[in-house]
Amino acid sequence: MRRPDWAPETIDIDRPSAARMYDYFLGGSHNFAVDREAAQAMIAAVPEAPLIAQANRAFLRRSVRFLVEAGVRQFLDIGSGIPTVGNVHEIAQAMAPESTVVYVDIDPVAVGHSREILDGNERALAIRADIRDPDRILDHPDVLKLIDFGQPVALMIVAVLHYVRDEDRPTDLVGRLRSALAPGSYLALSQASGEGRSPAEWDEASAVYKRTDRPLHNRGRAEITQLFDGFELVEPGIVWVPEWRPDSSHAFEDVERAIYIGGVGRLR
Amino acid sequence: MIHDPDAKPDPVAAPGQDRYGPGLAVFARAWAKAVTGTSYLPVTPAQLEEFLEGLTVRLVEALHEEPFSLRRGYQIGSDLVAAHIASAEGLGRTIEVIELRLLRDLGLSPAGPPTAASAGSPDATSGGPGSGGPGPGDDLRDRMARLLGTVAIGYARALRDRTLDEQESIRRAAMVAREQAEHALRESEARFRHQATHDPLTDLPNRALFAERLAGVFERDGRSGRRLGVCFVDLDGFKMVNDTLGHQAGDQLLVSVARNLRRGAGEHLVARMGGDEFVILVEDTTCTDDVLKVADAALAAVNEPYVVDGQELRVSASIGIVERPVAGTTPSDVMRAANITLHWAKSSGKSRWALFDPERNERELTRYALSSAMPAALERGEFCLDYQPLVSLCDGRLLGVEALVRWRHPQLGVLRPDRFIGLAEETGLIVRLGSWVLAEACRQARRWVGLSEKAPFVSVNLAVRQVRGPGLVKEVTGLLREHDLPPDRLQLEITESAMMNTADESVDNLRSLADLGVRIAIDDFGTGYSNLSYLRTLPVCELKVAGAFVEGLRAPATEPASVTDERILATLVSLAHTLDLTVTAEGVETATQADRLRAIGCDAAQGWHFGKPMPPSLVDALL
Ligand SMILES: C[S@@+](CC[C@H](N)C(=O)[O-])C[C@H]1O[C@@H](n2cnc3c(N)ncnc32)[C@H](O)[C@@H]1O
Repeated sequence: MRRPDWAPETIDIDRPSAARMYDYFLGGSHNFAVDREAAQAMIAAVPEAPLIAQANRAFLRRSVRFLVEAGVRQFLDIGSGIPTVGNVHEIAQAMAPESTVVYVDIDPVAVGHSREILDGNERALAIRADIRDPDRILDHPDVLKLIDFGQPVALMIVAVLHYVRDEDRPTDLVGRLRSALAPGSYLALSQASGEGRSPAEWDEASAVYKRTDRPLHNRGRAEITQLFDGFELVEPGIVWVPEWRPDSSHAFEDVERAIYIGGVGRLR
Repeated sequence: MIHDPDAKPDPVAAPGQDRYGPGLAVFARAWAKAVTGTSYLPVTPAQLEEFLEGLTVRLVEALHEEPFSLRRGYQIGSDLVAAHIASAEGLGRTIEVIELRLLRDLGLSPAGPPTAASAGSPDATSGGPGSGGPGPGDDLRDRMARLLGTVAIGYARALRDRTLDEQESIRRAAMVAREQAEHALRESEARFRHQATHDPLTDLPNRALFAERLAGVFERDGRSGRRLGVCFVDLDGFKMVNDTLGHQAGDQLLVSVARNLRRGAGEHLVARMGGDEFVILVEDTTCTDDVLKVADAALAAVNEPYVVDGQELRVSASIGIVERPVAGTTPSDVMRAANITLHWAKSSGKSRWALFDPERNERELTRYALSSAMPAALERGEFCLDYQPLVSLCDGRLLGVEALVRWRHPQLGVLRPDRFIGLAEETGLIVRLGSWVLAEACRQARRWVGLSEKAPFVSVNLAVRQVRGPGLVKEVTGLLREHDLPPDRLQLEITESAMMNTADESVDNLRSLADLGVRIAIDDFGTGYSNLSYLRTLPVCELKVAGAFVEGLRAPATEPASVTDERILATLVSLAHTLDLTVTAEGVETATQADRLRAIGCDAAQGWHFGKPMPPSLVDALL
């Protein structure tokens, strides 16, 4: 019997998961042997991989703080990953308890874990969805339960789009999500760039991720800038993530090698 | 204020943070720097430093606590982990930085020169009372070592617990996710299976599921004398509903009918086979009656009034029923039989059930087999003609012969026309078969003309279709020419009813043929309306009186009924003669009949008394 389109896939934990590798880089133990093995292969290719992941996670933290300070109280975090240290709802709700957060991820284990963490938190929930199907996210009853699209929303797409192929038109996907947002909403986005690294390094890194559930598709600064179409970039614009409103000047030693490029934009 | 190392530390009033001066911040910054990057810390550098300053104060307090307590070190270690400084590197660098800098940065270095014991004795740090009494510096070093040991233990324990907790929770998440995926898959499979096995409109089981269940009945045990029943239900005039009220109303009606049927059929499986066809499977019947009850209930259920589109509507259904032992039949046999039976119910007036009857089915099958075998049989020459004498009642002369077609069926033997002419008429083969008969009869007639100048005419029955056909005149003309046959040696018989119903064209056909000199006879006269008026206008030369009248002459002439028949015949004969028609009596079987016919002036006769149908060679002998 052929599996119908709407039947879900089964969980394959024998394959490295990008979400759990990321957790490993951040120092977490929400991972399995296959994930650690792939993460170590990545470290062999790019020794600063853990620092790079941490720098991206710190960008996420700083951008959430910025957004709460800017008055946003609704967060739609797509590609939210395994909830580990410094989750969006923890940061936002610590600053403004009324903040609502919806986590969206394609990885069922990440979503399962998110639900466990969020049990009892009425202002945060997690759904499983694919950013490549933005309508499903925007129409999802759980999303609508916590997010009022008539009010400003912080759309977080941090360290996700490098898992989306060009054929899936990331600019259009972001555009579709943007079209649902009220003026005064924000986009916080980062993604792996192809810059600052030798082709050999990239080849090795790509080879590692080919074995995972999410192969890599890096993009240059120009393409990443395009993702912000329709948004007005806040200072300092699109930069290596450690350079985005750093807490202190000595945060990351060699920003050129930070891989992740990102920024925050405001919808007029 | 600089801490006085010589003073006994006061375990209760721990020194405040400001007591350590700038050294505290310097140390905390160094510590923060050392652990940054060992794992992700969800705080700003300033927050980290502040946190570590707090821990530093607690370290110092622990160093000076009296009595020295292991618990403090454990707690500091586990607090580090709780603050997410939680990695092997985090621990290593922490110990390194404390050991290297804590005392120095905070100005806690033991005052005065190190004692001899502390400088060189291997047990300088043991702190044991037997080491010759340690000075305050030695005591501090001693305490530092023990403190670091407990910090490391507390840290390692907390890190291990955290790791185990995280492992447990991610495994649980994976398990839950897997269970959910499997559940969803099962559910979607169930949904898929439901969709694949149910009709989307009525949600009744569909043809596939029915076939499966029916097959199941046969698989379970075909030999233990079990029986089954099937009702094949079809709505009467459903197309009309669709056509007049629209498809949507039709669909609505089907949904209601389905609901009623399901209720009417009780525990038995009701499936929608498509369109307005439903089927009920009655398993484990004990006798035919069991199914008849279900069928009655189904008919009653269907008959209930419906409201469709605000309009009250009534429909009926016809049902074909099969009930038989499971052994010796197959699912497809059962369904075929049910379908056939449904047609019987329909053709006998609808709104009823019919029960399968194997004998009737057998007959229909044979008819079907015959009708489908006929074209090839005609090609292969399986048909032939017998001839029955038509004899003059005046002098016993052989006037003519009637050609009677036979089918020498390879399996069934010689078949008489009543077995297959009707079928040929249904299928339309009658035209080709009729042509063959006509041609063969002409050929034979011509042969007899060659044999004798007293050769009989050959009388051939024409079917209505032939009479109406535009090519009849041409066909006959062609045959006469081909065989050089005198036209009066050919007689064409048409039935009275055919004659009545013929259109102008057919009359024209007959007139042209009569003009050629071909004899035209009315067959079976007296069985139809016997309207004599048309005989005047038609080019007919002979009436063949149906055997039914002649039959009456068999009885003794004293019987009133027989007398009546004789009178009718006599009237008929005289009337015919008035119209200049000759009369031939059919079905004459006895000499008495012949005598009485002769007495009333009948011209000729045909029947067993004068000769049965025979092959042409036997006719030769009569010439
Ligand atoms: C590197 S993690 C980023 C986590 C978090 N946003 C952060 O920056 O700290 C990337 C996450 O994106 C998810 N992801 C990848 N492709 C996705 C897609 N097509 N739709 C939704 N999530 C996706 C992965 O499962 C993974 O959990």
